[in-house]
Amino acid sequence: MYFKLTSKYINTQIRNYVRNLSLSSHLNRLITIKSNDEFLNKVMNSENPVIVNFHAEWCEPCHILTPKMMELVQHHDSIDLAVVDVEHHAELVHTFEVKAVPAVIAVKNGVVVDKFIGLVNSDMIENLINKLDKKNT
Amino acid sequence: MSLNKGKPCRRVAELSLESIVGLMPWTYDYDLAVIGGGSGGLAAAKEAAQLGLKVVLFDYVKPTAKGTTWGLGGTCVNVGCIPKKIMHYAGLLGKSIKDARYLGWNLPEYTQFDWNLLVEKVQNYIKMLNFSYKVSLRSAKVCYINALAYITTNNEIEYFLNEKSYKIHSRAIIIAVGSRPFVPRDVPGAFELTITSDDIFSLEKSPGKTLIVGGSYIALECASFLNDLNFDVTVSVRSVVLRGFDRQCSNKVMNNLEELGVKFKFKNLPSKIEKCEREDKLLVTYTNGERDLFDTVLYAVGRVAETKNLGLENVGIIVGLDGKIPVNERDETSATNVYAVGDVAQGRLELTPTAIQAGEYLARRLAAVSSKIVNYNNVPTTVFASYEYSSVGYSQEKAKEYFGKENIEVYLREFSSLELSAAHRLKNERLWADEFDKEASPQCLSKLICLKSEDEKVVGFHFIGPNAGEICQGFALAIKLGAKKSDFDELIGIHPTDAESFCTLSVTLASGQDFRVSAGCGGGKCG
Repeated sequence: MYFKLTSKYINTQIRNYVRNLSLSSHLNRLITIKSNDEFLNKVMNSENPVIVNFHAEWCEPCHILTPKMMELVQHHDSIDLAVVDVEHHAELVHTFEVKAVPAVIAVKNGVVVDKFIGLVNSDMIENLINKLDKKNT
Repeated sequence: MSLNKGKPCRRVAELSLESIVGLMPWTYDYDLAVIGGGSGGLAAAKEAAQLGLKVVLFDYVKPTAKGTTWGLGGTCVNVGCIPKKIMHYAGLLGKSIKDARYLGWNLPEYTQFDWNLLVEKVQNYIKMLNFSYKVSLRSAKVCYINALAYITTNNEIEYFLNEKSYKIHSRAIIIAVGSRPFVPRDVPGAFELTITSDDIFSLEKSPGKTLIVGGSYIALECASFLNDLNFDVTVSVRSVVLRGFDRQCSNKVMNNLEELGVKFKFKNLPSKIEKCEREDKLLVTYTNGERDLFDTVLYAVGRVAETKNLGLENVGIIVGLDGKIPVNERDETSATNVYAVGDVAQGRLELTPTAIQAGEYLARRLAAVSSKIVNYNNVPTTVFASYEYSSVGYSQEKAKEYFGKENIEVYLREFSSLELSAAHRLKNERLWADEFDKEASPQCLSKLICLKSEDEKVVGFHFIGPNAGEICQGFALAIKLGAKKSDFDELIGIHPTDAESFCTLSVTLASGQDFRVSAGCGGGKCG
């Protein structure tokens, strides 16, 4: 069991190292999460700060927030945006204690540095993004 | 019986023939296994988990004949109370639009209704509830398994997931699988071509001209919101509407619906339903030979518990004709360690709040923190017809039967709600005998049934009118606490409301006087 964990950790580190070599510049991109492994790689182990947007198709405020998030994150090259559909990721929902949507969590270096739940005004969203960006520089 | 909270139980193999044959020492996976994730099941599971028991909950929805299915939450959340209330409200808004024009709002003369938009909004709301139930189960540390459960022994459940079979062992099992709409198989075409309340709230195609078969509250509630949403509605009733409810009030509910445009057919049920290809409609033939075309036929003739494939025979439980499980007042079935709550239990009121309370109290008894059982007396209910009908306590008929005709005094008043009078609501055009006969009859009815032998203690409270559900909740407490007619008389009313009518009821049924107030303020005396 210990051996398995260690090799998984090593694999993750190797993947990150390879990614660093292959990408000359960090492109700002919208990440759609399909599995827990993908979440680990692209969010928790990411070089960049990532904003995780918990989203649901049946949630109208989500349909307003997600495009807004994408629009605001465009101006910050180093920040990625990950969208997690709550219907397909029960474990992530539980891990991050998401009880309502939309829920936005800011992750940097594998740590949750900020979050908000529900549709908040653009000032709050911008503050969260700016906080992430400032810490990066 | 009580369960040691979470501690695994070991039954040491006894030195007997059985032990030689190979009974292994026994460890329970769970303290409690709940079958059914509806109102009763969820309440029991969450309460038990909160009290420290290890709980697993199974929920699985068998799709309808039309293929409709839904998520966690049971009938109430998915195909009952919740979508019904939203559609009821949407229907009332249609009426409010007409009132609005009359009272000064500059709205277009004809406002279109988009069925698909309503269904989308209703389904989004339901999915939000499905999600919040899943989250709350996880938070409560209840293991949720979306699979069909099968009882193999008093302590063992088998289920299939991804084509593999699994078994779990639990000290106690609660069956809370609820009930489903019944569709008769002896009416050709009924099963294949019609829908039920399971389908209406997610119907992709607009219902159009609808026939509702049945006279239950489900039939009348569906008839109400569909009629309010401007669909042509006919209701085919076998004998009487709202069987079991107060007769006078049931007839008043029906008369209100008739004035709003719903057509009723009595003792004339569909005998055959066929598809009319040419017009993509359903051709219904009635028992008296009449025929008519409809876009939709909805059956609401009763509900049955689907317990056939639950494995009840493995634990010796014999169900009634309607599939329901006999239980005692402690929700115990005839099988040790097996309990039943909610609609699936025989003789229970088929309501969400009673199922929830039954589930919670049972969980507390299983965890040995309480011995309370549910009191099913004076449970308030509401029929959400266009003009709601709410009641708590005895109907006039049951009061006469139980207490004796001479012992009962009925106080009542029939009147129009102030706002509805001011907005000058009219009957449905179809019912205008001439241009002078447009006025709607007073739609409200306030009725108190009192016991003469106990100083006119109120044993029955009935109200028909807007917001009856909200009004009755408060008065239900008064009835529960034993209020008398004099208490109601001394209570000062809130003016102007419909509810204040209960403070000034003076005309009795026995006196023969006219209890109808044809015009004027909401129930009380004005000025």
